[in-house]
Formats: sequence, structure tokens, C-alpha cells
Amino acid sequence: MTALLQILFDALSLGSLYALAAIGIALIFGVMRLVNFAHGDYISFCVFALLWPSIEATAFVFAGQLPPYLLIPVILTVGACLSMLSEILVFRRFRNANPATMMIASFALGFVIKYTLLMLFSSRPKSIDLWPSLSLPVEIFDARIPLLQVITIVITIVILIALVAFLKRTRFGLEMRAAAENFTMARMLGVRANAVILLAFAISGMLAASIGLILVTQTGTVDIQMGSSVMLVAFIATVIGGLGSLPGAVVAGFLIGGVSVLMQVILPFDIRPFRDAFVYGAVIAVLIWRPNGLFMPRSAKQRV
Amino acid sequence: MTHRPSIFLRSLSTPLILILVLVAFLALATFMNSGPFNQVVIDGLVKVTLVVGLYVFIGNSGVLSFGHIGFTCLGAYATAWLTIPPLMKKMALPGLPEFILEAKLPYGLGIGFGALFAGAFALVVGKILMRLSGIAASIATFAMLAVINTVYSNWERVTGATSSVVGIPIVRVVWPYCLAAVVSIVIAHLYAISRSGLALRAARDEAIAASASGVDIGRERLIAFVISAVITGMGGALSAHSVGVVTPDTFYLNLTFICLSMLVVGGMNSLSGAVMGVVVLSVIIQVLRQFEKGVSLGGTVVSIPNGLQEIAIGIVMVVILIARPTGLTRNQEIVWQGWPFKRVSAATEP
Amino acid sequence: MTLLTIDAITVNYGRLIALRNASLTLSQGETLFITGPNGAGKSTLLKAIAGVVVPKAGTIRFAGLEIGGWAPEDIARRGFSMVPEGRHVFGSLTIEENLRLGVGMRVDKDAAERDLEHIYSVFPMLEERRHQAAGVLSGGQQQMLVIGRALMANPQLIAIDEPSLGLAPKVIDDVYAVLLKLRDTRGLTLLIVEQSSARATMTGGRMLLLRGGEIVLEGDARELTRSDALKAAYFGYGEQH
Repeated sequence: MTALLQILFDALSLGSLYALAAIGIALIFGVMRLVNFAHGDYISFCVFALLWPSIEATAFVFAGQLPPYLLIPVILTVGACLSMLSEILVFRRFRNANPATMMIASFALGFVIKYTLLMLFSSRPKSIDLWPSLSLPVEIFDARIPLLQVITIVITIVILIALVAFLKRTRFGLEMRAAAENFTMARMLGVRANAVILLAFAISGMLAASIGLILVTQTGTVDIQMGSSVMLVAFIATVIGGLGSLPGAVVAGFLIGGVSVLMQVILPFDIRPFRDAFVYGAVIAVLIWRPNGLFMPRSAKQRV
Repeated sequence: MTHRPSIFLRSLSTPLILILVLVAFLALATFMNSGPFNQVVIDGLVKVTLVVGLYVFIGNSGVLSFGHIGFTCLGAYATAWLTIPPLMKKMALPGLPEFILEAKLPYGLGIGFGALFAGAFALVVGKILMRLSGIAASIATFAMLAVINTVYSNWERVTGATSSVVGIPIVRVVWPYCLAAVVSIVIAHLYAISRSGLALRAARDEAIAASASGVDIGRERLIAFVISAVITGMGGALSAHSVGVVTPDTFYLNLTFICLSMLVVGGMNSLSGAVMGVVVLSVIIQVLRQFEKGVSLGGTVVSIPNGLQEIAIGIVMVVILIARPTGLTRNQEIVWQGWPFKRVSAATEP
Repeated sequence: MTLLTIDAITVNYGRLIALRNASLTLSQGETLFITGPNGAGKSTLLKAIAGVVVPKAGTIRFAGLEIGGWAPEDIARRGFSMVPEGRHVFGSLTIEENLRLGVGMRVDKDAAERDLEHIYSVFPMLEERRHQAAGVLSGGQQQMLVIGRALMANPQLIAIDEPSLGLAPKVIDDVYAVLLKLRDTRGLTLLIVEQSSARATMTGGRMLLLRGGEIVLEGDARELTRSDALKAAYFGYGEQH
């Protein structure tokens, strides 16, 4: 029972990260058909924003010293600004380009962000102890669960509820959903395209920032690669979920997290290092089974 | 009305011009420097092979593949298995089957087997993956790459896991790489003007019309997939011999994105784009590297800080794509139609 | 008062010319039918006004402003409502959300609420299912929804691409009754693409025939249909090529 609970929390907290990242990617894909490969680098950038630029091995904690009630808004703002800036400087110029071109442009942008960080901070991972008290375990039904896992899950749920409320209850949310489904028609109804896209980038950037904060608290390190591995899984989750479907992205994110944790447990010890191969193999199987994703958005099947 | 020559003759100028461009690039590089520059030239030629290989599938089918660098990995390790001296292999890779452990092939054969191994693997995997199209196919190829990378990064006794596999005979002369690049350009061109290539491009531009005309898209895609795997596998084997060391992470995301970028910047729907993309980006990268080392301009040495080269190349790529969203060649082939060169749309003429 | 002036616009898709040198004017409160065979450029004309395609040459003035090159949303916000061909309902949004999308640019929210009630009274079926996803509606019901949605913006000019397509005759009558009433009470200007001239003859108004990307005939709808000119021009006899 306790072991089971442990597995459940592992799966949920890993799935949370993937789900948050997947929404960030799906939001942007929905409104402008862009697969944003720079998303992972937004995550890294937000994490590095905690530090003062230096190529020394030890980390000079800078913004990270702020109290949480200031630190969190600051980092969220950093993520939102970086994301919006990339839309204004780069993606706005690709409105009519084909998806492959946009994808490569986003990759090039990510490259620029990554190497800027590399130049300022060097490639060495640095350790940073943000909010050490969160790594203490709590007891839930006799299982010792790291407090951080619980918080990660709770935060993810809160973010998801807030996002749903925003999308369902506000004018901007309505316009964003409409734009995601049929961009041209939405514009013909007076929906301001650039504003909606910019807002989607802002939300996506804030999601990246929150992933960054969770990751850095979990691992205690700051590493240039930390964003891209999450981003890749999230990217897969958005496709499996059905591109453009936000609920699909969330479910697929949790699903991949769950499958990863489960495989870690059930695979024989010898094969365990090959876990990711099984996870990706499962991804291929799902794609063959459901090429349009598990949750095809309604817009794709509204034909009468 | 004048006699129209066959498609083979009409389109012959494209590969010839591209090969000439390569030779000119080679001559220029050799002329400018020797020694370490050799490695740069070899790198460039390996990239040409890889990107041309990518083009055979991506350009003709219109499906973006993130997986081909997996074939590069297969090719590189295959030649490593076959060409490393048996004594070293028994120490480092004891899990290999006996006949491979005993083998000590010349590098040419190693490269050939590497290419074939990649092609055979692509045939098996492609049977499954080529049922997909669009972004699902792209993700599936990426998943394939991830599976290959995971296996090669962890199979200690056969691949040496993440540690470097050393002892691969190093080939430091330029001609084998040049030959490989030329061969891949010729193969790519022959495929593009073949029945299968034409059918696949027709399906890329008008999927419904093509399948209504009897084009079996899945089958044609599989052919392109296997041919391109052979070429990218060969590129991988070459790259193994160019440095003498392989690790799984050499053949993962960075290389994938660099090759894809070169293809898209050049123009992903044309062979000319594949070659020009590599040549142009390689030259820009090389110039920036020189600036990093310091270049004397008018008596003063100008240098840019380390790391700026990558940032600059990223910015250059974005700028090129903004100015030319369909790539430097605008997705068209360079053909000889009298002087000067004229471009012909890749959709209508190969 | 002239609401819309199109002066010699040419639109091409690549090498294909979809609309050549087309000009027309439309006064406030007027009804203009555009008819013509498939591929004549009718939809392209509407798209050009909406800003979805940008003309290569020529000018478009709407409500006193030169709108050539404007973004679709800016044109919509000047009071142009467009119902494109192919019923673009937002399938994952509810019916009411679809309707409310059109209201975004309006300042007077009370008037918008009254219009919503009005549209529900004309199409009671929409009200019954107001909280259902629009994707589940049948083709005809979707057509009602998109027309209702376009009206929610309280436009000066509404352009509808084939409103009768897929609708039962009774519903077509209802749709036209609403449009004509709004024309008469609020001065709504109607720009309607129909393949057949039957509805134009019933309703009255001006008619314009497009063929091969060019305006080949223009005049009073009833007079044109009575004469043989329309039929001749539609099929293109009696012209030398």
C-alpha cells in the first residue's frame, strides 16, 4: 500500500511537469500552428534568471534570494517577457510560412537562447538550494512522500483550474479558443490576432517559468539541458493528446509520466536502463493506433 | 517544335552543377589553408552526405523526419564494430558476436556495411512508420531516434554505453569523403527523377489526386525512407572514420537539428537546397570561427568572444528564414539552361 | 450614402487570376446579389473585402476609409460582417459562445443582449441547445448559427456566401425575413452570393453577374432575370473569344 502510494505520487508529480509543459506547447500550436522548440530553452532561461551571470562553478544566487512572494512573480514575468519577446522579434515574421520553416526558426531561436546562457554561465551544472524546507518528507497513509511532490501536484492542479477558468470564463479565453480552432474565421469576427497570440505566448512563458521553478527545487541544480528533456516529452505528449487539444495534452502528459514511473518499477532490473526505449516504443504504438492523437479536437471532425 | 531530350538528360545539369560547387568549395578550402582545415573540409563533406540523405526522404515526401540521425548512429557503430582491431574490441565490446569480434575489415567495407545495416533497419521500421503521415510521422521518427539513442547509450557490452568507442581507423585524406558526397548527390538525383521519386513528389503536393491516380504513397515513402537511410548511414560511418571515436550522443538532437536546419535554410524541397544549405552555413560557421580566433583587419586584430559564434549562426538562420521562408534556393533546382543559371520549380521539373 | 466602393481590384492566387479589374459600389441599406457559375470569383470578391486575401491592384473603400491591406479583424471592427462559404462554426465552443464571439467589438452590451434574444427568437432551436457544443449541429443548423453570429456584431454591411446552401426552404424564408427586416429597420446593407437568381428575383435589389473573374453584367435583379441577358451572360453565349 505505501509502495503503491509512493509510485502514485511519483507518477503524478512527473506527469505534472509534462502536463504543464505540454499545455505550453499546445497553446501556441493551437493559435498559430507553431511547434515551439524554444520552449525548453525558456525553461532553462527562467532557471538561470535565479543566478547572477558568472562562469564560476559556484552559483551566485541573485534573484533566488528574494522571498517567495516576490521571487515567483519575478520569475513568471521573466518567462512571460522572454516568450512574448520571441513572438514579437521572431515568430511574428513567420505568419504565412510553412510549419517546417517555423519549427526550424524556433529551433534557431532556442539555439540563440541556449548559447547566450552558455556564454554567461558556462556549461557546468551548478547547485542551488532554493527552498530547502520543501524537500522534507510528509507522511500520508504511512508513506513518506517528499513535500515537494505534494506541492508540485497541488500547484499543477491549481494552474490547470486557473487556466480552465481563464479559457472558459473570460472574453480573452473565448477568443483564444476560437482562434485555436479557426484562426481566420476568428479574425473575421473581429478577434485581434496579434493580441491573442501575444497572450498565448505570455501564458506559455509563465508555464515554462513555473516548470523551471519546480525543476530547480526538485533537483537542486541549475543546468542548461534541464529544459530540453522536459520539452521533448511534452512535445510528444501534445501530439499523442491530439495537437491543439489542451485537455488531450494534459492527459497525455500525465499518461507519459505514469508510464515512465510504472516501467521503472515493473521492468526487470537488467532492462531498466532501457526504460526510455520502451516509453518511446509505446509512443510509436499509440501513434500507429491513433494517428490523430488520443483526443482529436472537435474542430477536426466537425464535417457534416 | 524542337526535340525534347529525356528527363535524364534535361535534368543532368543539376547534379553536375552541385558537384562542381562542391569541388570549388573544396579547392577554395584547400587553397586557403592546410592542416587543421582538412578536418573542416571533411566535416563539411560528411554534412553534405547527411543532409542529401535527409533530403531524399524529407524533400520528396514532404514529411519532416527527426529520426534519420538514428540511422547515422547505426552506420557509425556498424563500421566501428567491423573495423576496430579485434584485440581492442574484445576488451571494450565483449558482447559482440564472435564473427564480428574477429572481423577486421578495411574502412571502405565498413562504410558499405554500415550503410546497408542502416538501410535494412529502415526497411523494417519503415514498414511500420510509413503508415503515418504529417506530424504523427515526424513524432514517430523522433521516437525511433530516441529508442536507438537509449539502446546505444545503455547496451554496455555491445556499444560501450555512453563512453567513447575508440580505435576506429582514422581516414584523414579528403577523397573518400568527397566521393561519398558525390555518390549521394547522384543517388539522390537519380531517385528524384525516378518513377518513385516523381510519384512521391506528386503525392507531397497533391496527396488525394496522387492516390486517386494509383500512387501507393506508403510504398513510395518506404522506398525513399530506405534510400535516405542508406545515405545517412553511410554519412554516419564516414563521420566515425573522420574522428576515430563514436559516442551515442554525437548522433542525437544537436546533429539532428543542425542537419535539418541546413536543409530548411537551403530549401527542403530541392536537392540544390540540400547542398547549398550545407555549403552556405558551413562557410558562415567557418568564418565566424575564424573571427573567434581573431582576424587581422587593417593591422588590428578583431576577435569576437567565445560562444558568440553559435549565437550568431542562430541569428543568421532566423534572418535567412525571414527573408526566404522557402530557403535559399526557394525550393527550386539549379539547372543549366544556357548562361546564366536558371531555376526551375522542383514541383514541375526535377 | 455610399458604404462600399470597390475600384478595379485584381486578385490572383499564384499565377491564377481569380478576379480581374472588378469594380462596384454599394449604398447603405441596399441589397446586392452576386451570382455566377462556380469559380467565377464570387467568394474571392468577398474575401478581398474581408481582408482575407489582398488584392494585387485596385482600391477598396469601406465606411469612408481606404481598407486595402487592413487586417481582417480591423475591417470587421469597422462594421463588416462576413459569413464565408463552408460554415465555419467553432465546433468545440458552445452555441452561445459562438454567438457571443461576434459581440467583442460592441460597446453597448445591453443592445448586444437584446440582439442575442432576438436571434434566439428567430432560431428557437439555437436557444434550446445554447449550451451544447456547436460541432454537434446539423449542416442547416450550423448555417443558422453562423448567420446569427455575423448579425451579433451589429454590422453595417453583412456579406453572406450562399446562405441558402443546405437550408430547408422554410428556414431560408426565415433567414431572409430577418435580413430584410434588419435592412429596413437599421439600414443594414446586404451583400449576398447566390448561385441561383431565384432568391434575388423574389427579394428584389441589385444583381451582379461574375464570370471568369470579371463582372459581366449588372442591373436590377428582377429586370435581369426577366430578360435573356442574364442567361446569355451566365453561360457566355453571344460573345466572341
